[in-house]
Amino acid sequence: MFNILKRKNESPVLLVVIATGISSVATQLLTIRELLAQFQGNEFVIALILFSWLVQGGIGTFFSQLYIKRGSPSAKFLCFLSLLVASLPALQILLIRELRDVLFIHGSSVGFYHTFAFVFFTTAPYALLIGFVLPYSLFVLRAFRPDYPGTYVYMVDNLGDIAGGAFFSFFLVYFFSPFQSVFISNIFILGATFLLLLNSGVGHIKAIAGVCVALTFLVSGIFLEKESLLPRKGSLAYYKESKYGRIAVHKDKEQFTLVADGVPVFSNQNTSNAEEDIHYPLSQVSATKNILIISAEGGIMEEVEKYHPKSIDYIELDPEVSGALFRFGLLKNIPGLNVINQDGRSYLAHADKIYDAIIINLPEPETYQINRFYTDGFFYLARKRLSPGGVLSFSMEGYDSYLAEPQRQKISSVHKTISRHFTNVLLLPGEKIYFLASQNPVNADIPGLLDKKKIKTDYISNFFYGNLTEERIRNLNELIDRSAPVNTDNYPQLMHIMFSQWFAKFSTSPLVFILLLSTVSIIYLFCIKKEEFVLFSTGCMEMGTEVLVIFAFQIFFGYIYIKIGLIITVFLAGLFPGAWAGNKIANQHNKFSRTSLVISDGILILLTILLILIFFKGGDKIPLSVFLIYGFLVSMTCGFQFPTALKLMGDSNPSVTRLFSADLIGAAAGTLLISVAIIPYFGIIWAAFALIGLKLISMIVMRLSKA
Amino acid sequence: MNRRQFIYGTALILSTPVSSHAIWPFSRKKAEVQDSDNIRGSIFKGDAPDKQGKWAHEAFLYKKLDNNKVLCGICPHRCLLSPGDRSVCRSKANIDGILYSLSYGNPCTVNVDPIEKKPLFHFKPQTKAFSVAAAGCNFRCLNCQNWEISQAKPGEVRHIELFPEDVVKAALKSGSESIACTYSEPVSFIEYMLDISRIAKEKGLSNLWISNGYINKEPLLELCKYIEGANVNIKSFSDDIYKKLNGGRLEPVLNTFKTMNEKGIHFEMTNLVVPGYTDDGEMVKRMCGWILANLGPGYPLHFLRFFPQYKLDRLAPTPLSTLENFREIAMKEGIHYAYVGNVPNHEGMNTFCHNCNKLLIKRKGYYIPEYNLSENRCKFCNTVIPGVWGKNIKAI
Repeated sequence: MFNILKRKNESPVLLVVIATGISSVATQLLTIRELLAQFQGNEFVIALILFSWLVQGGIGTFFSQLYIKRGSPSAKFLCFLSLLVASLPALQILLIRELRDVLFIHGSSVGFYHTFAFVFFTTAPYALLIGFVLPYSLFVLRAFRPDYPGTYVYMVDNLGDIAGGAFFSFFLVYFFSPFQSVFISNIFILGATFLLLLNSGVGHIKAIAGVCVALTFLVSGIFLEKESLLPRKGSLAYYKESKYGRIAVHKDKEQFTLVADGVPVFSNQNTSNAEEDIHYPLSQVSATKNILIISAEGGIMEEVEKYHPKSIDYIELDPEVSGALFRFGLLKNIPGLNVINQDGRSYLAHADKIYDAIIINLPEPETYQINRFYTDGFFYLARKRLSPGGVLSFSMEGYDSYLAEPQRQKISSVHKTISRHFTNVLLLPGEKIYFLASQNPVNADIPGLLDKKKIKTDYISNFFYGNLTEERIRNLNELIDRSAPVNTDNYPQLMHIMFSQWFAKFSTSPLVFILLLSTVSIIYLFCIKKEEFVLFSTGCMEMGTEVLVIFAFQIFFGYIYIKIGLIITVFLAGLFPGAWAGNKIANQHNKFSRTSLVISDGILILLTILLILIFFKGGDKIPLSVFLIYGFLVSMTCGFQFPTALKLMGDSNPSVTRLFSADLIGAAAGTLLISVAIIPYFGIIWAAFALIGLKLISMIVMRLSKA
Repeated sequence: MNRRQFIYGTALILSTPVSSHAIWPFSRKKAEVQDSDNIRGSIFKGDAPDKQGKWAHEAFLYKKLDNNKVLCGICPHRCLLSPGDRSVCRSKANIDGILYSLSYGNPCTVNVDPIEKKPLFHFKPQTKAFSVAAAGCNFRCLNCQNWEISQAKPGEVRHIELFPEDVVKAALKSGSESIACTYSEPVSFIEYMLDISRIAKEKGLSNLWISNGYINKEPLLELCKYIEGANVNIKSFSDDIYKKLNGGRLEPVLNTFKTMNEKGIHFEMTNLVVPGYTDDGEMVKRMCGWILANLGPGYPLHFLRFFPQYKLDRLAPTPLSTLENFREIAMKEGIHYAYVGNVPNHEGMNTFCHNCNKLLIKRKGYYIPEYNLSENRCKFCNTVIPGVWGKNIKAI
């Protein structure tokens, strides 16, 4: 295989393909981070971004086939395209940052359709181009050697993808800002294009000029990095891209506000929230020796200090967040405080300390990552780590005067879930709805409890009885639907309720999108050949199982960046050896190609059944290596199918583009179906069964076609 | 230089780091002044219920037109509705040529609140207000605190059956001294509010109107016959910001203030200070100038702290010093009573006599630990303090 890189005419083109893979994966990851910093970071939006990207890649691939019908491929045009590939990422990120305030009202969040349109159009030029370049590179290679195997390009592209993914996840994200990362990840394509330009007979000066133009785009981005992040009001006191997201501290006059992924989380002047977070739970317990705080709220430590606890373990996943909070006075370092930078759930699973209070300050369960803190499994863990009279407290989005229906369902589901583990659960209404859970009775008269403890507060002492009247507290607790579903790790009910709440907030429904997508999908599925369907289902399987495995890993082990990065990398890494093996077998045993596809489909089905068994039997005892081996085997089998299907379709230019498209569109469908349609509504096991079902259909299609 | 060289040269120049700063089209300043968006609500075509239903009540003040069309006269939107259409505020519908209010007797939320929460600082301090709201609003404020009901149709929310007589009975039973139509936008359920107010007045209860003030003069004059106090939002002193953040216009709101002033209704004004939009000192000066010229210095003005809310959730809260600064500006300009709100126990929540500057009312949350008014006069200098003051108020 590596001999192909030594051929004079072919090697510069293949280097461009590898470099395109590096650029595209790094840019995709950067774009996701950028869009999440501009829009709602819920699972729906994450899936939309991946969906748009993959579909556009598929469309771009299809366009290349149309284009090639009109003219012959040329290495020079490929050079031009590659320079565009190198230039566009910086422009794309700038556009995402700047267009948001041009198209939407500054400071406002936007709903589903606006988000989708924005994502689709801002990513379209680059994603279409990436989809176009890959098959076009093959056409250029075939101009030198007409029988050039399409699988080689697929494999080389995979190499680039793996390199790009690993390079970004394990290197760039740690040390560089987005524009610096764009610059570094696109240097390779500039180098490869320069070689190709020279190889194509373009003069040195023109080649240098072309590369310089692209280079200046990349450099410009670095210069505009800070400027494009400046807040409209005040100044940017701190900015850091951590591996978990974008952390900024905005300073407006004397106020510092922590902004995480574009959302103001809290500021140093919100005393009422800090008081509620701390005094609601701590007023309930007689002894407050050991306190566990999972994620913070500005100003809470001053309130905790009033109880003179022996130890306070403060868990914050991102060290950049806790660092910034202390640096800008949003949190005070008090005696007994111990900062632990770890996933909160993972900490609880392995800790042996017993706490008098566990106080959680997490955002709404909009992602699978956060949902893990509102499940049956989590409340079980929390109960185990609490002293007999200990209290667990957390809050969810509240209301002023009326509890809307999706919110009522959400609160009810959490109430039902937590009530399985705690005898007494009290809900307190307000700007946030507080859950107080304990085995001991929970008292709603917080000011009375604080009086007994001689603890003074600004907000609670003076506003509580007016804002949280007995009637309001009773009304909220009476509104709870006792028949609401339990939110479990494997069956995350809250996710679809969160989606409903999001759609309700913007008075929209995803129905039009679903109908449109279903219509297009049906038309597409009727138009494609059986081999394309196999690859469509394979793309679906690859992305679907990746989502499932990451989801399961997070449930069992917590959000451990480096390990999740590894899982994603092995899901890419298996494609290359799989394709290599598939190509070899397809070349040597051509007549067995159809059978190979059926068998490999069967292997994917068996692997998914195995995954279900692992989930059931293993749980948190599964070692990381199992996830890695599993991911590698799935992607290897998926990689195996591409050359096999290509062999069956004849390896012509149209066949290659159609199969590339099918794979990408399948991956897009898999992302959307599994993460936002099946898991939230039917749970993780049914999601796995859905993938099995899809592969069974693919198997039957291939078997019947043989008959 | 040939054409090709020119294109290459231009491309090179345009893409240099230095020039990218100069030509970047979406600079901060440009984004700041760009506000062509208008989020005004629109009529819901064909969205009216088929039948009137139990809580439908023929609307107050509308005009019947040809082809069974009707023209609602309550607010400046003046919705022209064909049969089957629903109004901008979502609460009115044209059913067979008759305009109906759909939220008569079906409030979606009822609470007993401290009057200071409205906020009303110069109206019967330390009393309770029986607070009622039905679904609907003629605005589309991006930062609405009660969007769950203001941006909903009456049929979409849980409700309680409570006809006007029942509201008054419940208010009396709760020990409230007033009934406040609040939370959502009472203009959208004016028929219900008017009937409650008539009965409440007869029973000796005060009527309060907590509103965006987006109402036409004629219905307002009718309302003024019954209400004793109001808190009306002056969301900004810019028509553009009204269009962009609220979906309304400034002028009709100013007219509301003028009318209430003419009618001698006690009202207080609230101005939510939204960072990046309404936190402009010059605008506050202009606003105070208008208030002084048209209403006089005696109406209390509350500067409220903004918190990220509803759709406007990507802005930081208002820094305290901005609120303090605005309070100072307002008082320097000549407003007698300017307050800071949504900040627990801030000094700016207290009332000082505009004549002798002594502390009249010290507020700690909803409590009043110090009260230095004798009926409606300052205990120290005997100056009349504007407002509706209760009797026998004790410091707590």
